[in-house]
Amino acid sequence: MSSESSKKRKPKVIRSDGAPAEGKRNRSDTEQEGKYYSEEAEVDLRDPGRDYELYKYTCQELQRLMAEIQDLKSRGGKDVAVEIEDRRIQSCVHFMTLKKLNRLAHIRLKKGRDQTHEAKQKVDAYHLQLQNLLYEVMHLQKEITKCLEFKSKHEEIDLVSLEEFYKEAPPDISKAEVTMGDPHQQTLARLDWELEQRKRLAEKYRECLSNKEKILKEIEVKKEYLSSLQPRLNSIMQASLPVQEYLFMPFDQAHKQYETARHLPPPLYVLFVQATAYGQACDKTLSVAIEGSVDEAKALFKPPEDSQDDESDSDAEEEQTTKRRRPTLGVQLDDKRKEMLKRHPLSVMLDLKCKDDSVLHLTFYYLMNLNIMTVKAKVMTATELITPISAGDLLSPDSVLSCLYPGDHGKKTPNPANQYQFDKVGILTLRDYVLDLGHPYLWVQKLGGLHFPKEQPQHTVIADHSLSASHMETTMKLLKTRVQSRLALHKQFASLEHGIVPVTSDCQYLFPAKVVSRLVKWVMIAHEDYMELHFTKDIVEAGLAEDTNLYYMALVERGTAKLQAAVVLNPGYSSIPPVFQLCLNWKGEKTNSNDDNIRAMESEVNVCYKELCGPRPSHQLLTNQLQRLCVLLDVYLETDSHDDSVEGPKEFPQEKMCLRLFRGPSRMKPFKYNHPQGFFSHR
Amino acid sequence: MERAVPHAVPLGQMEVFQALQRLHMTIFSQSVSPCGKFLAAGNNYGQIAIFSLSAALSSEAKEESKKPVVTFQAHDGPVYSMVSTDRHLLSAGDGEVKSWLWAEILKKGCKELWRRQPPYRTSLEVPEINALLLVPKENSLILAGGDCQLHTMDLETGAFTRALRGHTDYIHCLALRERSPEVLSGGEDGAVRLWDLRTAKEVQTIEVYKHEECSRPHNGRWIGCLATDSDWMVCGGGPALTLWHLRSSTPTTIFPMRAPQKHVTFYQDLVLTAAGNSCRVDVFTNLGYRAFSLSF
Repeated sequence: MSSESSKKRKPKVIRSDGAPAEGKRNRSDTEQEGKYYSEEAEVDLRDPGRDYELYKYTCQELQRLMAEIQDLKSRGGKDVAVEIEDRRIQSCVHFMTLKKLNRLAHIRLKKGRDQTHEAKQKVDAYHLQLQNLLYEVMHLQKEITKCLEFKSKHEEIDLVSLEEFYKEAPPDISKAEVTMGDPHQQTLARLDWELEQRKRLAEKYRECLSNKEKILKEIEVKKEYLSSLQPRLNSIMQASLPVQEYLFMPFDQAHKQYETARHLPPPLYVLFVQATAYGQACDKTLSVAIEGSVDEAKALFKPPEDSQDDESDSDAEEEQTTKRRRPTLGVQLDDKRKEMLKRHPLSVMLDLKCKDDSVLHLTFYYLMNLNIMTVKAKVMTATELITPISAGDLLSPDSVLSCLYPGDHGKKTPNPANQYQFDKVGILTLRDYVLDLGHPYLWVQKLGGLHFPKEQPQHTVIADHSLSASHMETTMKLLKTRVQSRLALHKQFASLEHGIVPVTSDCQYLFPAKVVSRLVKWVMIAHEDYMELHFTKDIVEAGLAEDTNLYYMALVERGTAKLQAAVVLNPGYSSIPPVFQLCLNWKGEKTNSNDDNIRAMESEVNVCYKELCGPRPSHQLLTNQLQRLCVLLDVYLETDSHDDSVEGPKEFPQEKMCLRLFRGPSRMKPFKYNHPQGFFSHR
Repeated sequence: MERAVPHAVPLGQMEVFQALQRLHMTIFSQSVSPCGKFLAAGNNYGQIAIFSLSAALSSEAKEESKKPVVTFQAHDGPVYSMVSTDRHLLSAGDGEVKSWLWAEILKKGCKELWRRQPPYRTSLEVPEINALLLVPKENSLILAGGDCQLHTMDLETGAFTRALRGHTDYIHCLALRERSPEVLSGGEDGAVRLWDLRTAKEVQTIEVYKHEECSRPHNGRWIGCLATDSDWMVCGGGPALTLWHLRSSTPTTIFPMRAPQKHVTFYQDLVLTAAGNSCRVDVFTNLGYRAFSLSF
């Protein structure tokens, strides 16, 4: 009840608080003219602490009163109502105090808040100002740095140095008095000067350009003039050809040859150059020419696209014909072989003229895939030769150049790398093809500057001029000697076949005047036949009977005695002597194995051959050896010791003058002929 | 089919010439060094080659061990005969005898120590010296050869002391009969003559070819080889190889050989003989039958 009443009273109080407040305000308004009641001012005057005490006291009083009211109400009674009313009025007053206090508290609060707010606002305003200023400072600083960093374009120009500037610039630009002190003016002046200079230089540049144009034009004109000259020179050259021929100075021909020579493959080119040089410098009997088709040579270097087109065409054709005819494996292999052995279309021809007007024609070819050179030889004599039967092989193109250098038989390819190529296409050796392709002698490779180290296939062997040059002279000399010795043999064989040993007059001194034994037969035999003879085993074992040699059989007779001589003729005749092996049929068969004198006879002919060489170029060696053989047979037969037990005179009376018939433990016959005394003695 | 050729090297002029020389070479004489390790051989070109026997016969012998240690040109003509003393090698060929020091030869210093030529009668042709014989008791050397005489040369002084004449044709071989110092010589004239060294006179002559048992006229009458054992003598050549009893000058045994013998020597109780043109060395006993043959 009291609570309800308090509740009721509170709003009332409030309302009534409001009303009195208004009332007070109205009073304050009315008092404004004079004096007004300001609670705010009162707030300032009252002490908050005292107000708090007052509040606490008021609350206490209220509580006491409420308690008393409670008591009274509980006690009940009549006068209670008056005391309660009394007390109620007291509590209303206390309530009024409380309200005032509340108001005061609110006002204080409000004041405080206002004050804080104001102060805060001030602070904010200052803060803002500060920020603005700071911002401005920053901005200004930035601007300053920007200004400080500013580089003017004029600083990038490389100006001439100060000293130079003052030296070179004309005074109206440099204005020394002004600029010396003032760096700004100085820089300006320098820039001025720079500009001046640049203008001048630009002028110069334009002038030079125009000059250049002029000169270029002049050059053009002159070039045209020169090119118009060329056809005129050509026509002069043409006109001079007959004059050249008349004067034997074939410049034009040589020029043409050099033109063709440019298309030669490197080894042939080396050969051509070296041979021409040698011919001009040392040997007038040598002439060099190039044969073959230049167009074909040029065609070899066609670009690959063309050949691919060709291939595709030919493939297409092949496909078409496949159904009808397949090329057999053999044919394919054959084609591959032909391809491998293909020759370069150009070849070099060398003609060597010998003293007796016979000519050795050499044609040199180059096998492109095998990288070797081959040669074909032909000997042409001034007069037609009737070839004696035994001389068949002497000048044959196949063998005339065999073994020019010892061991160089020309039947095997000198390039070790070729063996691998041959294996691919099934070629065993080059020997089967030499007749067609020519012989790949080692000296031919050397003349072409190709050097193949033995047994080691190298990937690229290039043609070397110095190798060719060092071999040229020797080889040419050997070739000439070879041809001449073969021709000499040719002639001698013709005579030998008729049983006459042709001894020249300057070799007559080697032999006595009277020689009774005669040569009755001279034939050529085959290598196999020679090996089969029973009296030639020693020579065969000594390795002197190779298949590159030529073999002959001579028969010397006197009375009943028949002497067979098997002759080995080395291709290197006459620097390598022919070797004789003898077999005598007289009173039994005597050979070097059972008769020491036969051995001595062989020695006289084989080992002592140097005496029989005759004058250089010792073409007489073979004939002298044969003549000596006849003399030896004479001596042998005449000095045969007479057998007392047999009746009858000696078949061959001694006609030769000998000092002693036997000498030494081997009882040799006197085989050595002494000139001019004419007697026989022992060695 | 190609035959395998023994020489793979292409033969130039020099190689062919050397091969031909070797094919036509004859070795005429040989001598063993005093130390027994080396063999000197002389050939028909006048060269002497020294071979090392110890190297060639050892178990590790290679091809090179069979080649000469040193070869030098000793004479202009063939070297027909050689003997060795305890320090020297004496070689003789065309007319003169040369002496070499073994020690120097082995060091390849091949200069002759001395050379001597016996006094010859003829000057037209220089006669060869076919045989050399050392007489150790007298320290002298006997030479015999083309001029049909035996010359004795004192090895110390080099002077020629005696010349024994008697042969009518040149002398092939010599042998020494030790007990009574006698020299036997066999020659082309078919006679074996015995000479007494003290008296320098011919003591005995045996004309071998006159005896029918041993003569072989188709071979000739020349005596190629001699060997003596003081009482006995073996000689052969044109006539058959015969064993003679010297005191009685009678042939006792004839050895059955066909070819003319070039060398013979007594060895203990056996006779060793070799022919020039066969590959065999035949060994006979004194009784005349062939025991065996050594063959190359």
